[in-house]
Amino acid sequence: MSLSELVRRRPPVVTPGEAAPPAPLPTRKIGWRVRLKRDRSLLLMVTPAILLLGVFAYVPMLGNVIAWQNYSPYTGFLHSQFVGWANFERVFSNPLFVDAVVNTLIITAFQLVFFFPIPIFLALLLNSVITPRTRTTIQSIVYLPHFFSWVLVVTVFQQIFGGAGLINQTLRDHGLGSGFDMMTNPDTFLVLITMQSVWKDAGWGIIIFLAALSTVPPEQYEAAAVDGAGRWRRMWHVSLPALRPVIILLLILRLGDALTVGFEQLILQRGAVGADVAEVIDTYVYYQGVVYGDWSFAAAAGLVKGVVSLALVLGANKLAHVFGESGVYKRA
Amino acid sequence: MNATPTFGRLGDHAVDRRRFLGLIATGAAVVGIPGLLTACSTTPPPAASNSAAAAGDVIPKYIPVTYIDPDYPSVNGSVPGYEAIPDELVQSVKDAPGTGVVYTAMTPLWGTIPPTKGNKYYEAVNDLLGSEIQFQITDGNVYGDKLATVLASAKDVPDWVCVPTWNLPPRFGSEIVENVFQDLTPYLAGDKVTPYPNLANISSDAWKFCVFNGKLFGLPFPGEVITDAIFYRRDVLDGLGITPDIKNGQDLLDLALELTGGSVWGAEDLWNSAAIIHAVPPKWKLDGDKLVHRVETDEYRAALEWNAALFASGAVHPDAVADQSGEAKARFQSGKSLIANDGVGGWHEAMRDNLASNPAYWQQPFDPFHADGGTPVLWKGNPANIFSFLKKTDDEAKIKELLAIANVLAAPYGTTEYDTINNGVEGVHYTRGDDGLPVPTELAATELQPTYIFLVDPPISETHVQYPGYVKAASEWKANAAQYATDPLFYAQQIVEPQQYASIGQPFVDLEKDISRGRKDMRDLDAAVETWKASGGDELRAFYQDILDQQS
Repeated sequence: MSLSELVRRRPPVVTPGEAAPPAPLPTRKIGWRVRLKRDRSLLLMVTPAILLLGVFAYVPMLGNVIAWQNYSPYTGFLHSQFVGWANFERVFSNPLFVDAVVNTLIITAFQLVFFFPIPIFLALLLNSVITPRTRTTIQSIVYLPHFFSWVLVVTVFQQIFGGAGLINQTLRDHGLGSGFDMMTNPDTFLVLITMQSVWKDAGWGIIIFLAALSTVPPEQYEAAAVDGAGRWRRMWHVSLPALRPVIILLLILRLGDALTVGFEQLILQRGAVGADVAEVIDTYVYYQGVVYGDWSFAAAAGLVKGVVSLALVLGANKLAHVFGESGVYKRA
Repeated sequence: MNATPTFGRLGDHAVDRRRFLGLIATGAAVVGIPGLLTACSTTPPPAASNSAAAAGDVIPKYIPVTYIDPDYPSVNGSVPGYEAIPDELVQSVKDAPGTGVVYTAMTPLWGTIPPTKGNKYYEAVNDLLGSEIQFQITDGNVYGDKLATVLASAKDVPDWVCVPTWNLPPRFGSEIVENVFQDLTPYLAGDKVTPYPNLANISSDAWKFCVFNGKLFGLPFPGEVITDAIFYRRDVLDGLGITPDIKNGQDLLDLALELTGGSVWGAEDLWNSAAIIHAVPPKWKLDGDKLVHRVETDEYRAALEWNAALFASGAVHPDAVADQSGEAKARFQSGKSLIANDGVGGWHEAMRDNLASNPAYWQQPFDPFHADGGTPVLWKGNPANIFSFLKKTDDEAKIKELLAIANVLAAPYGTTEYDTINNGVEGVHYTRGDDGLPVPTELAATELQPTYIFLVDPPISETHVQYPGYVKAASEWKANAAQYATDPLFYAQQIVEPQQYASIGQPFVDLEKDISRGRKDMRDLDAAVETWKASGGDELRAFYQDILDQQS
């Protein structure tokens, strides 16, 4: 096929103003051989990614079949006995699982309100107030904790807020009582883990928001200023609208992760405050599956979590469309 | 993280070494019989019951060897002690049996993980072996987690794997052991052990405990009759002018509170101690002719109440309250807390780790006492608390070589092998003091970590002569404690529990922490016991009742 032919087969260019009928999707007309030839370099480029995705995401997903089995790794899933929905029935009738779900949702809801907005505020602050040099310095400093492991973060918190920690020691040295121990109080556990998350990850979270803010042309701020908009109005009418698509995108993704709350962070502190407040779906699945060897039950619980997460993402995306946002994706 | 040994939740980072009180309780010995999902009182459990009976045919013949007589002979089964190193050491295995290959081994370690490159201690022992053992060492406090994951993938299992009894993963007896590990019966049963005289020197009880489903799989680390103790920092208390005289549980609470002040706290989480002084049975006890599970006993309740009182008094170190049990020893040894429970093996390890920096360091176990002041009851430890397994292979020569290596490692006190494995190389890891006793060098603190001992061990003996006064103190304490040693129900039997009861004990692991820390109370315990009964506890009781009936 000649180049000119190829060009001819491409969709016609519609000149503006002309009331052209919407062109039918061109691909329908072109045979797959032609398309294959036309797009071969693109296809070649995407192959490794598809392979990776296949090998590390889709093939392992087949392993979920163990949720319907009485599985043991030593018999393998080819020979393990199928038990129908029995594992799912056990999951839903187990009060401990229900507790774990409730804890997970409470933590997610709390962090959605008290953690999610913080990087946005930080980004706005950094973007509007400070000179570039100071901004990058501050940025680097608030990034740093992101690279600490959770073990380290929990230890640092224990050394500061624990009963033998810095604060309590200071209080005791000055005879101001010695009851301060934030690490073992189940009532303030939510606040504690949110503090830890903020300290560790808020700095990291501002990257995307800063990037979005950097795309706002300065002229918009100037125009707004000329129109008499003060600092707050400029933020409200220029900065925030620029951030809105990103915020919504991240919010939807966060909802998809709603049932995933810091596994390491929680398992490290589970004993300190008790399972009543610190057992979440992930830790529960870990204990049932890995520790007690009930892999099928754990797989069923994990699968339930996956399905709910998917529903949350799809639902949130739909909601975003209703409000005229593009969300994570939009059907063509 | 995580606190005291309790039920031995396998993933729990808390599990203390060589403890036994908790380790065979509900959640731990989770090993099942395949296809026994419908097990109930009417179905006799075959595999479980006959393993002990059949054990006699598959274990090695016992052929004792003695190289040197102990200074403190065994009393009531206590560990014999040796005060001095003999002038003439005997090399029990003349030629290094190895063929110069590298074998991998996975072991726990309660200590600082030593360097593997250029480690002169490893080089010396490997010279004796003739092959190289390459260790994959994991912190003992989290060993169970690693074990559970490694064993789930049979291909990744190292050639030689150490498995502490309290870390036995679920499905171990029913599935793992036969699929992953080598059946040693054809190599060691009866007279076949003769080529390995040091292995034949290990007691029959210890070998019996290595029998799973009627076959010999494990190599034992023979256990102590009394496995756990409550230690206090005698050097610190001496400095304070306090000579503890503990007669009952209240005395200990009072002492812990008295020692608390400033930035020092009286105690670590003493849950394991609470179980000891209240004589909480390790798993079952017989009430008349009815089996009563540990969690249903009055002893268990009393122990929980006692530990809750300890926490409530404020005498427990706040980091222990926060369940940071991994650092419990560090806190105790640095004097931030002054009373802690530990396995008796922790005693000489503490001497090893602290004498160099603090020559006055001394931790001493309290003499056994009962919480109510009566006669203490100390439940006997398993005849082997740790065992190791060889990876399954068709290569007979490899198994024989590994067993020959095990034979070197099991050399008893008085041999060159034992001396090197425990003390390292003279002039490198220790020098001889004026009294002829070895004095550890600084290098010993970094290089000489006990790693080979987790593969196989000679019959246990107290031989840490290098710590002045230690052998005497330890032997005397052990001889005294051994008079209270009592056989628990199902002593020394490797019972394989059906898998479906694996996790019914889980709530108690959390509950013990919750009640101790005042977050829950006895009503929650009652509720948990009811749930336990309903979710399989009563069936488990029937399972054990069957075994009991068959034995009587």
